[in-house]
Amino acid sequence: MPGTGTRLAGPVRALMDDRDIQIRNHVYRRFVELGRAPTFAELEAELGDEVRPALCRLHDAHALVLEPDRTEIRMANPFSAVPTPYRVEAEGRSWYGNCAWDAFGIPAALHVDGHVSSACPDCGEPIEIDIRDERPFPDEHVFHVVVPAAHWWDDIVFT
Amino acid sequence: MHLFRSEEHVGRWLEQQGYTAGATINAEKLCDLAHAWWSDRLAPDWRPHARDQNQAILERLGLTGQFWQLP
Repeated sequence: MPGTGTRLAGPVRALMDDRDIQIRNHVYRRFVELGRAPTFAELEAELGDEVRPALCRLHDAHALVLEPDRTEIRMANPFSAVPTPYRVEAEGRSWYGNCAWDAFGIPAALHVDGHVSSACPDCGEPIEIDIRDERPFPDEHVFHVVVPAAHWWDDIVFT
Repeated sequence: MHLFRSEEHVGRWLEQQGYTAGATINAEKLCDLAHAWWSDRLAPDWRPHARDQNQAILERLGLTGQFWQLP
């Protein structure tokens, strides 16, 4: 997903083809298996030379987000390739969500229960939430979005 | 897109950061939103959501109005 708007300046998003989607699905599978983003070197070794242009098309299509200055994955939403304030544990493994929405999305994507660890941005108090049967425990916390939906992709890392 | 202990903490944080308030929803609704938005993300037959599909998810959860209008 082109969050920064600085990496590829094409006026029109390149369309993904079926092979691009297969590569995208491979990236997601590896992200789940590894508990981190697969590196470009790993993907190239697994899939060959077609990986670089495919990742660029997927980035342009908002199917994943590359780092602004290199062909390494920054986000495969809801998973984050870099540590964030949203740590998620599920089935004995852990990942980072890009934001609170994504953190809740990791158990949803995995179709399992999970646990989200974070901290209140205002006071720093830890926030620990279990997600069981698609419900949060406890449920007294609130989620705030600053950026209107029309502008989420203007800078997806900030959003 | 952050989680807070309460709306009071949201208000204080917005003031500290100098941000204009956006939208606040409770954790239950966030859970519903996350499941509706992300549950197909690892499906072998995944296809990207069309804009209208995503807008329909928001509307189904009562997330309507200009703030929630996708581009």
